[in-house]
Amino acid sequence: MAANWAERISAFSRSPTRFLSGTTAEAFLAELLRELRDDRASYSVKVLLLSPLCEHPTLLCPSDSVGEETALELMSVFAQCPPKLVGFRCHLLLALTSVLICTSCASGRSRASQDFLDLLLQIIQDPSDLHSDGSLRSICATACDCLRELEACCPGLLSQRLELLCGLRQQETSRLHQPYAALQTLVLRNAVYQLTQEKGAGAEHLKALLGGITSVAWEADQDSGLMNNKDSAILSSLILGPMGVVPTLQTGPDCKELRSVLSSLLEESYLLTPLCQAALLHRLTEVVAMVPGIPPAIFRAQLLRLLGTSEVCLLHATLLMKCAYTDSLFSAEDEAFILKRLVVLSQHPRLTAPEKLFYMDCILHFPENRPIDSGDDTLPVLLTPRLASALAPTVFNDSATLLSRFNLLSLVHLEEGEEAEEGQGLEYLYEHLTSLLYIVENRGSREIVVTFFRAVFLFLFYFHHVERYSTSLTEQLCKLYLHHTHLAPHLINLADQTQDRLSESNWAVGLLTALQKVITSLTQLSLKDLKWHLKMLGRVAEEGEIPQRNTLSFLSRVITPSFSSLCESGDWRQGNNVLGVCRRLLVHPSLDSLLIPLADILQHLARCYRDTDIQDHARLYYTLLTTLSREKLAGVMMQGATEGGREVKKRSLSSLMSEGEELTSLLTIHQTEKAIFRLTEAQSDPQQESKESDLHQDKVENCAEEANAALEAYRAQFSDPSFASEVTLKYQLAHTVGHDSRFDQLFSIRLHFSLTDNHYEKLHDISVPCLFRERPSPVVQLRLKPRQPYPTTLHASAIFTTQDGMSWHTAVPDIHVAFEQTFMPLPSPQTWGQGGKLGVFEGLWEEMCTEKEERAISLFCCQLEEAALNALVRKRFLPYLVSDPSHKDELKVLFFLPPQCHILLKIMSKEDAVHFNIATDNWQLLPHIGSYLLTITAAQEHPPS
Amino acid sequence: MTIRALWIISQEKGENVSIRFSRRFSTVEHRAKSLAGSSYVAVPEESTVLQLLLTELGLSDPDKAYVALRDDCLHRPRSPALELRVDSPEKGILWPMLVISQGPLILACLPLVDVPPEPRPPLASLLSVSQGLTLLAGLQTFLLGSGSKPDGEGLVSRLAMLPSVLLQVCPLGTPLDVPLLGPPATPTGPTSTGNQKQPAWKTGLHRGRAVVNVALTETVRSMQYGNRSRQDLWDVFGTVLCKCEVEGVLPNVMVTLSLPPNGSPLQDILVHPCVTSLDSSILTASSVDNCDSSAFSGPYKFPFSPPLEPFRLCSYTSQVPVPPILGSYQLREEENQLHVSVSLKLHESVKNSFEYCEARLPFFNRDQMGVVDVKVSYGQLDISKEKNLLVWVLGQKFPKSHEVTMEGKISFSGPTHGPSDPLCTGLTAYIKLYFKVPDMTLSGCSVDQHSVQVYSSAKPRIVTSRELISKDYFIWNSTGAAPVSSGQMVM
Repeated sequence: MAANWAERISAFSRSPTRFLSGTTAEAFLAELLRELRDDRASYSVKVLLLSPLCEHPTLLCPSDSVGEETALELMSVFAQCPPKLVGFRCHLLLALTSVLICTSCASGRSRASQDFLDLLLQIIQDPSDLHSDGSLRSICATACDCLRELEACCPGLLSQRLELLCGLRQQETSRLHQPYAALQTLVLRNAVYQLTQEKGAGAEHLKALLGGITSVAWEADQDSGLMNNKDSAILSSLILGPMGVVPTLQTGPDCKELRSVLSSLLEESYLLTPLCQAALLHRLTEVVAMVPGIPPAIFRAQLLRLLGTSEVCLLHATLLMKCAYTDSLFSAEDEAFILKRLVVLSQHPRLTAPEKLFYMDCILHFPENRPIDSGDDTLPVLLTPRLASALAPTVFNDSATLLSRFNLLSLVHLEEGEEAEEGQGLEYLYEHLTSLLYIVENRGSREIVVTFFRAVFLFLFYFHHVERYSTSLTEQLCKLYLHHTHLAPHLINLADQTQDRLSESNWAVGLLTALQKVITSLTQLSLKDLKWHLKMLGRVAEEGEIPQRNTLSFLSRVITPSFSSLCESGDWRQGNNVLGVCRRLLVHPSLDSLLIPLADILQHLARCYRDTDIQDHARLYYTLLTTLSREKLAGVMMQGATEGGREVKKRSLSSLMSEGEELTSLLTIHQTEKAIFRLTEAQSDPQQESKESDLHQDKVENCAEEANAALEAYRAQFSDPSFASEVTLKYQLAHTVGHDSRFDQLFSIRLHFSLTDNHYEKLHDISVPCLFRERPSPVVQLRLKPRQPYPTTLHASAIFTTQDGMSWHTAVPDIHVAFEQTFMPLPSPQTWGQGGKLGVFEGLWEEMCTEKEERAISLFCCQLEEAALNALVRKRFLPYLVSDPSHKDELKVLFFLPPQCHILLKIMSKEDAVHFNIATDNWQLLPHIGSYLLTITAAQEHPPS
Repeated sequence: MTIRALWIISQEKGENVSIRFSRRFSTVEHRAKSLAGSSYVAVPEESTVLQLLLTELGLSDPDKAYVALRDDCLHRPRSPALELRVDSPEKGILWPMLVISQGPLILACLPLVDVPPEPRPPLASLLSVSQGLTLLAGLQTFLLGSGSKPDGEGLVSRLAMLPSVLLQVCPLGTPLDVPLLGPPATPTGPTSTGNQKQPAWKTGLHRGRAVVNVALTETVRSMQYGNRSRQDLWDVFGTVLCKCEVEGVLPNVMVTLSLPPNGSPLQDILVHPCVTSLDSSILTASSVDNCDSSAFSGPYKFPFSPPLEPFRLCSYTSQVPVPPILGSYQLREEENQLHVSVSLKLHESVKNSFEYCEARLPFFNRDQMGVVDVKVSYGQLDISKEKNLLVWVLGQKFPKSHEVTMEGKISFSGPTHGPSDPLCTGLTAYIKLYFKVPDMTLSGCSVDQHSVQVYSSAKPRIVTSRELISKDYFIWNSTGAAPVSSGQMVM
């Protein structure tokens, strides 16, 4: 069993949704809790069982009430757990914290969360445990962590306990002082923030807060919690750099108490682990930023120690301090020192690569005392080319470091490029590219190749205007291509991206022209290279500016038998590559001058290429070229191309087949970005349905003995397994709100549904002929065949065609099938009257009262006025009513739920309340009917205004 | 200052990839949701995260030469904080995904962005980033040990310990500490620590004789080109490792580093967080600055209170005027033969007493070596089993002249091709030197046994040592193109 649990828990954490589709969250949660209470299960397994609750509490506890119940369960497990099992108890505390916070029980100050808070406070204050045993200390530490998390998620929760926490920390001499300090600083920070939001709060309030005096005015606001009225601002870090505004608390210079708390925390900060120290410093930085009465100089004593540190998080906390206080704590010399320090750290041989990269990022976003502007990736003024030269990239760097350094140095020398073209830095960068190129030429790894092209892009991005280099780069890349034709995709990608990003530069066209030149002047070539050459020429042919005569003469040479064996080989892919170039030439602006040679090539392909498909396509292109006018040809070929152009590159088999995007777009199924339409439940009119049933109401025959006979006759119907096995739900198919005129008229819609659990049989697809935005929406009937009539969610998608002949695939918003949607009136024979139904009801009721097997009875009570009850019956129960509606003292309602479940209700108005006696032959339906009744009666109690 | 989730992935060069451990911190996710508002992107399921990560790291589809999504030149993965482009069911970008990898392990975590998410805040504004990096590095050391090659079983057992380790170091997504290496220190009973607080980074107290061990290691790297147009480069960095077994909750120890007269100042000093205070003069010298002869040059005092485990007290760099071994390497290709000519000269200031010293001459991207007709003036020459590497063992000493040479011809005619390396083709070739000199440093820096002070009752035993080792010590063939740009940055 233990191994089984390990497997199941790991399956759950791998994919919770897939795991839960095989069961329900409810059932899984019940299983977990049962096992946790089971004395026979080992505690190592129990620790495992808590992980789904820690990691995905909202999946298992979808509502606050479930969360609340789960928390109560876990707390009782905690209470019964022997104190020795520290690990398990710690994990239990974590699970409780997760459940209470994520289900918002904690922010709602629910009963369970109050109890939990008391438990935690009790643990951290219990002096008997503290010094006896190291292991008990760890439960105390975990309790502190949980309190800190609760305070972090519900800011202000512990504001009233500041004095207590301060005292605990000060007394503590074991390592426990660290969790206390972390908790205290967070609570302090939130409490001070809270004060800044109070009008008129000042020194007195601050003093009261620290002294634990709770009678001050702002206490009234306590219960509402900050999260409710002040969105998430309090969760955010307050240190945002020069542009951020920090809320402040005006106290005047008199804040002795706060100052002494801060000093004591700072003095002992050295005793904390670097990670906790960094967090503490950051919190205190925020506090001091909020209280102008405390000068930032309070941190000064720590600064040297922090600036010399090898710990990345401590130096980072110091940088954030600089960001918050600028020149009120750091002089101009300090600033120069820190920047130099960052340059040193960015290349210090003793630090790891990720740390160095992080420091380099810190240089790019250096918090200057007097920033000139705060644009993205602007360098600090103090970073001179001289200083930055320490960060010059070398080929021995790993890719990430190399590119980061390359980018940084490019920024440093950006101005140099403009001022003096002979800049040495630029020279260095270009030579660095050359060194990389050299490695690529020597068959460098794929990683080097990718890095090289990224560096080239960066170089062009910053220096494309420096012609000396950009021209030389073109030459070098052409040479590289000739020796390594397989780099064609990289070169095409480079051309694409430089063209897109550097619209003012013509470099990409220059590169493509040069590549065309080197390819077309080749005197011999291998079939392997040819593939890449054709890809490249295809891309070249997309440029209207580039003359295509050379390309054409290259193509006609390639298909000549004396030059290559292409036509004889009949290679379909190669043929397609040739056609790909031709197709682009068909839409080239200089087509007029290319007409005859292009026609020759196409004709030759149509006649001689040893592949029928290629021949056919060549013939099609030939016909189009020779029979259509220029405009029409462009119209035919450009359709589709204009829609996406190069930007939308859909790699699909159909595009490979035709290499014609106008055909491709018709053959491809496109994906819509958003949902186009949705299914909404069609409102059926209960009145009308009940009238139908009235028609059969002939005579009343009410004999008890006949109940059994009726039941038998009723049951006999189920010998046909398909009898009453389906629920039919009606939905309207309608456009969603967003307006996209392409989708106003849709045709041949095919809806596909998939299940999210195992409670229903698979659904068939549904076809809808058309959907027009301006016409009434069609009604779709969904036939659900339940295995278990539980509420469920269906995923849906659809394929449809638009007016222009394109096919689309779209996601349809999920369909939620509520429990009551599976209700059906009793499927009694048509000829039966009220009496027969009543007979069945009585017969079933009697059986169910025996509570055997799956049967169960239950009672639901609520307070409803008579009028409200009547309205409820009229609105909800009429189709299912088997007793005479005029007999108000006891109403009998029967819900039939396919495949063969029944829920029977006897509704009676008693003095104090309305009683719903419930009987069912499937006890697992009880929670659903319970929550259904709760919802509908609550709605009746508080009708929507 | 928290992380939303953590993943540990194992792989072998992009293959056999699997997530070995993952942890989601639901309460942090809860905060992430309210902080990010409409730009919130949920953490996808494991398999999706894995796929996106591999693409971003360039490890997906290892058998395909070009994959648009992976290799686009526009896209520069901004390591160490990657962005994962989540496609479905919710579109969006997960940022900043911190990733570190070493050997077969990739560790990743997603810090909480606790500042307004739009526009994208700089990495430096999120304290959780440096904290996440520290946590990941700590976990990496815990899982792999200090070496980068873990034994499979050791890794499995350490992975199994992670849930309890995380309970200590990152219980609810807030990193508190890095995992302890090795077993926890012997638990000490109730301690009467008086008013003195025990540091949180000290897991117990030492009982017994006080021993302080200070080991100073200097590492020298070099790139020598033997070419006028290229400046030879070398640098030296030092590390002081300490292991202190001293009684008391917060005992004070002081280690002093000193330089010989006229020694060039120690630069770029980084100290361990247990150092209690620093003099500002210690931090002033920096390698990116002008060397100032009047600068502070010691003694460098480091007062600290030691943790129980060995730790790196401080590290520094130093500028020394000459490399310890100056080499020249010349290769000429004639009639399918390579003429080799090498000379290595030990600088007179370096103690001529090595623990080991050898030079390796790789000949990659060629056939195997056939006839090797090479003479050395000193030492012994070996040919590697794969026949593509000459190993010149110089042993413990250079000869009296302090200079050794190698001269000769090599022909290549082996039946199979040797290994390839894009940095070593044709005449682009190098010699790599491996050596270690005990009891010396290039900077002259030393720790005097008597300068170590321990402020405690018992008299401690103090051990100090120093050594010099080489790392990345290259001598390039001066007749070929070294794969570096010839231009030097303005220095």
